[in-house]
Parts: sequence; structure tokens; C-alpha cells
Amino acid sequence: MSKEQVIQYLPLVILLAPLLSAILILLFTSKFKRLSAGISVGAVALGLGASIFLFVAESNIVGGSTPVYTWFSIGNAGQNALLPNGPGVNPLVFDISLQNDSLSRLMLLVVTLVGTLVHVFSLAYMRQDQGYSRYFGALSFFMFSMLGIVLSANLVMMFIFWELVGVSSYLLISHWFEKPAAADAGKKAFITNRIGDVGFLLGILLVWQQAGSLAFDSLGPATTLAGLLIFCGAVGKSAQFPLHIWLPDAMEGPTPVSALIHAATMVAAGVYMICRVFVLFTPEALEVIAWTGAVTALLAALIAVQQNDIKRILAYSTLSQLGYMVMAVGCGGPAASMFHLTTHAAFKALLFLGAGAVIYACHHEQNIWKLGNLKNKMEWTSRTFVIGALALSGFPLLSGFFSKDAILMQAYEHQMPLFIIGVFVAFLTAFYMTRCVIVTFFGEARSDHAKEAEEVPGEMVAPLVILALLSIGLGWGFIGLSGFTEGFSKWKDLAAHSDAAHNAAMIGGTIAVTIGLTAGWKIYHGSETDPLPEKLKDVAQWMSDKFYLDELYGFLNRWTQEKLSFAADWFDRWIIAGLGVKGTSGAVDITGCLLRLFQTGNVQTYALLTVIGLLFILALILF
Amino acid sequence: MGLPLVMAIILALIPRENRSIFRYGTLAATFGSLLIAIYVFAQFENRLDEAKDEITFIEAAPLATQYGYIFTQRSDWIESLGISYHVGVDGIGVVMVLMAALVAFAAACCAREIQTRQKEFYILLLLMSGGILGAFMSLDLFLMYFLHELALVPTFIMIGVWGRGQNKEFAAYKITLYLSIGALLTLAGLILLYLHYKTFSLVEVLHAADIGNALTNDSQSLVFALLMFGLGILVSLWPFHTWAPIGYAAAPTATAMMHAGVIKKFGLFMLIKVALPVLPAGAQVWLPVLALLCLGNILYCGLVAMRQKDLNLLIGNSSVAHMGFVFLGIASATLIGLTGAVMVMVAHGLLAGLAFGLSGYLHQQTRTLDMEKIQGLLASMPFWGTLMIMALMAGCGLPGFANFAGELTVFFGAWETYPVITGIAMWSALVIGAVYMLRAIRKLLHGKKGETAPEVEDITSWQRLPYAILLTVLLLFGFYPRLITEKINQSEPTFRQATAVQPEETE
Repeated sequence: MSKEQVIQYLPLVILLAPLLSAILILLFTSKFKRLSAGISVGAVALGLGASIFLFVAESNIVGGSTPVYTWFSIGNAGQNALLPNGPGVNPLVFDISLQNDSLSRLMLLVVTLVGTLVHVFSLAYMRQDQGYSRYFGALSFFMFSMLGIVLSANLVMMFIFWELVGVSSYLLISHWFEKPAAADAGKKAFITNRIGDVGFLLGILLVWQQAGSLAFDSLGPATTLAGLLIFCGAVGKSAQFPLHIWLPDAMEGPTPVSALIHAATMVAAGVYMICRVFVLFTPEALEVIAWTGAVTALLAALIAVQQNDIKRILAYSTLSQLGYMVMAVGCGGPAASMFHLTTHAAFKALLFLGAGAVIYACHHEQNIWKLGNLKNKMEWTSRTFVIGALALSGFPLLSGFFSKDAILMQAYEHQMPLFIIGVFVAFLTAFYMTRCVIVTFFGEARSDHAKEAEEVPGEMVAPLVILALLSIGLGWGFIGLSGFTEGFSKWKDLAAHSDAAHNAAMIGGTIAVTIGLTAGWKIYHGSETDPLPEKLKDVAQWMSDKFYLDELYGFLNRWTQEKLSFAADWFDRWIIAGLGVKGTSGAVDITGCLLRLFQTGNVQTYALLTVIGLLFILALILF
Repeated sequence: MGLPLVMAIILALIPRENRSIFRYGTLAATFGSLLIAIYVFAQFENRLDEAKDEITFIEAAPLATQYGYIFTQRSDWIESLGISYHVGVDGIGVVMVLMAALVAFAAACCAREIQTRQKEFYILLLLMSGGILGAFMSLDLFLMYFLHELALVPTFIMIGVWGRGQNKEFAAYKITLYLSIGALLTLAGLILLYLHYKTFSLVEVLHAADIGNALTNDSQSLVFALLMFGLGILVSLWPFHTWAPIGYAAAPTATAMMHAGVIKKFGLFMLIKVALPVLPAGAQVWLPVLALLCLGNILYCGLVAMRQKDLNLLIGNSSVAHMGFVFLGIASATLIGLTGAVMVMVAHGLLAGLAFGLSGYLHQQTRTLDMEKIQGLLASMPFWGTLMIMALMAGCGLPGFANFAGELTVFFGAWETYPVITGIAMWSALVIGAVYMLRAIRKLLHGKKGETAPEVEDITSWQRLPYAILLTVLLLFGFYPRLITEKINQSEPTFRQATAVQPEETE
């Protein structure tokens, strides 16, 4: 087999390996814990190997897609020339084909790399769990769906895997289904995502109507409305304001799942998708996208400042960083966005896995105010966590610094207010991460669990170290933005490059990080409780209560959809079923009553009635 | 193809003491017709090609063949009225027959719960299966109607005699009234058709309409209305749907599976096969009305389903809601929409069979389906729980299951004509569907098992078979919908006439 052929068919192998693993685990190996885990890890490791090969290989196939099979087609001229489709209706052809270009290869690498590390980490983290096999089966199924999104070559195929990712995320969030909070969180995540998906599907229909094709390679500019509807899908999946509420609740799932799905990969799928269909967006649509991202980044960073649960801090931080990426796309910089997506996947997975290690060591204690002084007991965990936190804050020369710099440059060239928001969010990020690190790892141990903590086993430390190295080196590996954009030739011209932008972003970012780190250190070093609520009073209360958006949505849902549902049920019971049968169609009822008089009223009567009716008809016809 | 019917007669002659004979006889008969259905399904394209050659080379090929029907048989029945025994399948028929045979076999497997009067139950079940299989194959309108009635009547008896719950008498009463009226309206419509065309033969009527012998616009409108509302009642078109959830909640498992899965599809089948192609002018008047009414199914019944506390009422209401997607596909009268409608019919048939079969199994274990009383089942019944989650997920349109492919196609087909209605339908399919299905999972399967919860056993060994078959086919058609779309699209003549209708844009 030639190298070209290998490159052409490797994506299929990468995609199918986890599916096969999930099927094997579901059908055969659910009783053998170690075997199930082994299959699952093997599948994802194979995917990683293949992805590295694809990424490194110089290939002639650029931007191509490989057809696998036709899902189905209707009104295809080749198949059935006689059939008209009605006026102006395009034939419907749904293909399953795999996209194989620099964008999908980069994303493949991100997904399989984080996936492999999370699988390995889970081996130890989930060891005591009853549903060990079920967990790895679901994880494999998630990998399949996520790789499907990455490899999709058209919008419908992407939508299919989009939904599958939603359901696998649902299964993993409610993995501990006996716990009510976990079961509720899974439900909330799925339904909120579905709301975004309605827009996505409507957008797909509009694009199909306007362009007649859904393949990514043949997309062209669409109307603002179509672009915004497609963007709705990303708002749901990437948890952008106003559909961001599911992500913090999703932290009820096992922590490795949070690292994989709700930090590095699935939530990034929305960003990946809008980068993929970037040509669709009109300037007006991009404006909306940029501001949605900016609002999310700001709002989530503010909320993160006042959270006390280590996973929730990280969750809001994820929201905020996703907002950054979306904003970058809106400012016309998909390359910068993908750059940040890549570095963020590394350091946020690191932070979540680090939090997982802390939670594992401290017997599921997640409140940072009940931890403390872990730096002396869990050396590797605390070192890597600090590296992750610094990378996230955008500390100079770590990976986050370069990618954040790229986004700030993009924003500076695009619009001043967005740049200011970006810098302010960078400051908040540095501040809340410093708070999180100092309270968790420094100071005094504030609970028995924290006092008894020990370093976690090797399977958990190894992924942390690898991710820490990546968090440091990724920025260098790509040598900043310029090296990174080489791969995305079609976006190259869009990238910001003026000297003014460069300086502004560099200076703004560095100052923000410095202030944030210093302020965090000043306020939280040595403190036993959070001093901020004292000083900020109501503002802090609003931040810690997430600006009451959950309550607002709950209220809206109770007063609209639930009331409608109540009304419909009531109407159904009493008007249509009650009065309908007994009132308006009274004739029917009377007939029934009359016939009941004839007969004994038991049920065989009704059958007999029908038979009589049939005989009557037959008699009519025969005579 | 009449295997179940023959078996019903044989079994009727056997004394009731030999209990197991009835069960195994029924299983054998339904399994036999399933095998034949699979054979016909597999051979369909080959035979169709042969038939096409025949049309090319022989001038006087039978009319039925010209209209894409193969495997035909014909003998005269009541000559004076032009009624004949004439059967055959086209692309739509063949997928419906396969679905019906699958569900019938699964229903026979799930009839184990019946402990009293087994003889009568199995005979009625066979009548039902044979009748509806025959109805999907009939090429004679009267035969079609008659066989459907043959399948429908046992429903009433089964609910009345073997039904469950306090309401079974009321449910049987209500379902009989509604469905009889629906059937009566349909019959009136068919008789009006007969008076014009002087024949009950489907292909002759189609041919006559094709070459321009159509009813006047006014009478088309009248007949279409009769058929649409008559058949609509049979399919639980809003607002004539209230019999359905109550009926299914009271019906024995096998009956609910057969009726919700298969028999109910007959109304839709006849709308596509008869009403649309023969009455284009009538359709033009009434299809926008149908599109509005189907919103009642999709949106309103979805909302009603959100409030249900009984599992069967929930599945019943969601099944009514799913019928709305088929109506929407029909109302679009485009090739894509109609193909989608048939896909949803097949998918929903399999799904309804699966869901009612599973809920029936649960009822056998717990004697209740009240979701307030049972919870945490996933821990104690992992196999049942996994299947139930899959069935509910298929119900809220998860890709991978055939339902998604069908609903997606309907949306693509209806989008141009009814954008607003399609948008609302999507909201219902994606969001409202997810809300009630996930609520059911949350209440039934998730959470801790209550202290007072009844003891339950999981499904074991051979009893898993019917569920596994239905699920496998659902997944097969979901991953590879071409298997059915390519057959459905072979019904060229029907579609050509049906899509000649151009409903006026309502928005």
C-alpha cells in the first residue's frame, strides 16, 4: 500500500477503533473490568499513533475528503431520472465522508492526545468504581463521536456526530446515576445542548436551500441568518452565553470526564465547527459571534472569582476561555482561535486532571477552603498544577501566553472595546487562578481529609507530567502564531500582523497577568476565609450566585413550557377527552349508550357491534 | 402470505387444553411470515428489474406491473362489484410488510404475559397480524379496507378482555367508538370513489386518474376530506387522538405493540397510496389544513407527554406526537417529504413495538407503570434498562436509529413549503422530545432504588430475542437508511402522481 493510500484510509481506522471498542465492551466484556479498560485504552492509543503519523506526514492530499459510503439519497438524478422533486428542490444526498486537511489533522491530534492521557489517568482514578466497564465503554463511544465531528466532511454528518457527542456526554455526566445531582446534571446538559441544536439544524436547512450542497469543501458565503443559526449549535455545545448554564453542572461527572469532554474536546467542538464553516459568516454575523464570545468570557471570569468548588472554578474558567476562542473567530481570526484551542486543551486538561488527583487524594473533598497545604504532600500534583495555572493565566513564555497574545492582537485590530474586555478577562483569569492555587496548595490544611492526603499513583502522575511539558512547550513548538498559521493557508491573510497590534497585545497581556498574580497573592496569601465578600458585598454575592441566570431560566421554563404543558394536559383531559366525547360529539356517545341498552354492557358487546357492522356492509354489497 | 390467517383457523379447531400449542403455533406462523417478508425484501430489486424488462418487451404487461407492483396474485372475489383478491407489493409496500412482520413476530414473543384464555388471544393476534400484512399488500381497495378491519376488530376485544387497569372498559369503549367512526368515514370515501370509477382495483383507479379521468374538483375535495379525517382518526390525528394513549395504557403488551406499531400505520399508508395520487385537487385544498393539524400532534401532544406519570401514557402520547412527523411529510407532498414519511412509519413501527414491549415486560414484573413508584431500575435491571434508554433515545431522534433519518428527511422535505411549521416541529422533536424522554429515564432508571420498590428480575436468555431483533433492525436502518430509501423510491408512479400536488404556501 502506498503512503498516499495509508494517509487516505488512516482516518477511517482512527474513527472506527473506538466504535469497535465500545461495541465489544457493551456486548462481550462488560464483566471483565481489566479487559474492557485495556480494549478502550488500546483503541484510543491506536488513534493517537495514527494521528501523529498523519500530522507529521507530508502529504499531497490537502483539503480532500474521502467518501466512505452514501448514507442515503433521494431524488438523485443518476438513480431515478423520472422523479421530479417539486419546484426548486435540490436532490438530497447524504454522504459519509472523512475530511482530511490540516484543520482536521490538528484537531485529531488534540483529541486523541488528551483522550489517551485521560484514559490512562482513569485506569487508576476509577478503579474502585462499580461501573468500570460501563465507564470505559462510554468513554470509547465518546471518542468515536468526537472523532466523527472532527472528520466530518459535510454539515449533516457533523450534525449526526454532534448529537452522538451530546448523548455520550449525557451518559458520562450521569455515570453515577444513583446520585440525583449527577442524573439531573446530565439531563440539563443534554436538553440545553438540544436547544442550540434546533438552531443548528435550521441553519443547515437554510444553507442547503440556498447553496444546494452541504459539503464543507463547496461552502460559500450564506446569509447572515443562516450563519447565526449555525452558530447557535456552537453556542450550545461550546456553552456560550446564554446557553452556558449546563457546563458548571456537568462537573457532577467523574473528573477525568470533565477534563476530556468538558474542558479539552467536546466543548471545543463548537469552536472547531465555526472555524470549519468560517466562510459562511457575513461581517454582521461575525460581529454577533465576537460579542457573544466577549460577553461569555467576561461573565464567566467574574463568576469564577467567587466559586469555592475547585472543579467549578475550572469550569467557569473553561467557559471564559471558550468565550475567548469564539471572540477570536468573530474578530476574523480562526487561526488564533484554533491556536488557543490547542494550548487550552493541554493546560486545562492538566488542571482538571490535577484537580482530579486532589479530589482522589482528599476523599472527594472539592471545596478549596477545606483543602490547603497540599504542596508538601502531593509534590508532583502541585508542581504540575502550578504550571497549568500559570499557562492558563498567560504567564510570559508559557503556551497560554502565545495563544492569548494571538487573540488579543486579533481583537486589537478588529475593535477596541473587545480588546479591552480581553485584557480585563486576562487580569481576572490570573487573579482567580492565583486564588485557587494559593488556597488549595498553600497555607494550612483546613480539614482532616487535606491533612491525610498522599501523592497519587503513577498512572495518574504520568499524564500530569506529559501535559505539563506540553503546557510549557506548545507555544514554542509552534513558534508563536506565525508558524502555526502556515498550516492554514486559506486563513493566513486574515491573521493580525501589524506592529501596533503586536505591541499592544504583548504589553496589555503582560500587565494584566502581573496585576492579577500580585493581587491574588496579596489578598489570599495566608487568609483562612475569602475576604472578597466583605469588601465587595452585593457584587460578590451576584458573582457567587452566577448572576442568577439559572434561577431566571428556571423561572422562564416554569412559566412558559411547563405551563403550556400543564395547559395542554388539562385541555386534553377535560376538554377534548371529556367535553369532546361527551359534548360536541354527543351523537357518538348517545349511539354508544343506545347500543349499550341493547346489550349487557360488557366488553364483548363492542366487538360484537363491530362484527354486526361488518356483516351489515357485507349484506349491502352482496344483495 | 396468509400464513397467520391459516394458522388462526387451524388453531381455532384445536381444543383449548393444549396450551403450549397455541403459543408455539403463533410463533411459528409469525416467524414464517417474517422469513417470507425478508425473502421478498431481499429479492425486491431483482424481481423489479425482471418486471421492468417485461414492460419493455411485452406490450400488454399487466397494469399492476406497470405501476411497480410485483409478487402479484389475483383471483376474482365478488365480480359484480369489481372486487377481487389482488395482492402485490411495491417499494412502499415491501418495507411496510417487513416492518409489520418483524413487529408481529416480536409481539407473539411478548405475549407470554397472557395467562387466561390463551387460545382466543393467540387466534386474535394471528388475525391481527395476517389482516394487517394483507392490508399492506392489497391492490384492491375493498380488500385493503376489509383486511384492515379484520386486524382492527381484535384490538377492541383484546383490550376489553385481557386489558389492564381500572379503565380498560372505558378504554375499549372509547377506542371502539373512535376507530369505528374513522373506519366508517373512510368507507364512505372509498364508496364515493367506487361510484365514480366503477372499480375497487387500486391500479385501475390510479391509471384512470393518471390519464385524466379525475373527479371534479368539488367532489375530490369532499372525498379527500372524508379520507383525510377518516384515516386521520385511525392514526390519531389531532384533535381526534385521545383514544390512543388511554387505549395503549389499557391494552395488553402484544396488542399495544401491534396496534401502535403496525395497524395505526395503515391510515398513513392509504393516504400516501390512494388519497394523494388519486385526488390531487382535493389534496391541494386540504394539505395546508393537515399541516396545521399535525402541529397539534407534534407540539401539543409532546407537551402533554411531558406531564405524564404513567410510562405507557408517556409512550402513547409520544407515539401520537411522532405521527405528526408523518403527517408533516405527507402534507409537504414532495418526494423527499413523502419518502421521509414512509421512513418514519417504518422506524416508528419498530420503535413502538420495542417501547411497548419493554414497558409490558416491566408491567409483568412490577404490576404498575407509575413512574412515581418505581425508580433506580438501571441498577437492578441492566439489560432492560440499557434497552429502554436506547428506545427512549431513539424516540427523541438520536442519530444512529432509523427515526432520526426519517425525521431529518421529513424536515428537509417540508422545509420549503412550511418553514414555520417545520421550525416548530424541530423544536418539538429536539427539545420537547428530549425533555420527556430524559424525564422518564431520570425517574425510572436513575436514582436510588426506593425502599418499597417491588422486586424485579432482568430479562434473561431467549426472552431477550424480540427486543434484540427490533433494536438491531432499528439500528441497521439508522446506519444504512439506503436499505429502505432505495426501495421506497421505487414506487415511482405513486410518487409521480402524489407529488403533482402543489399545496399552497401557508406562510
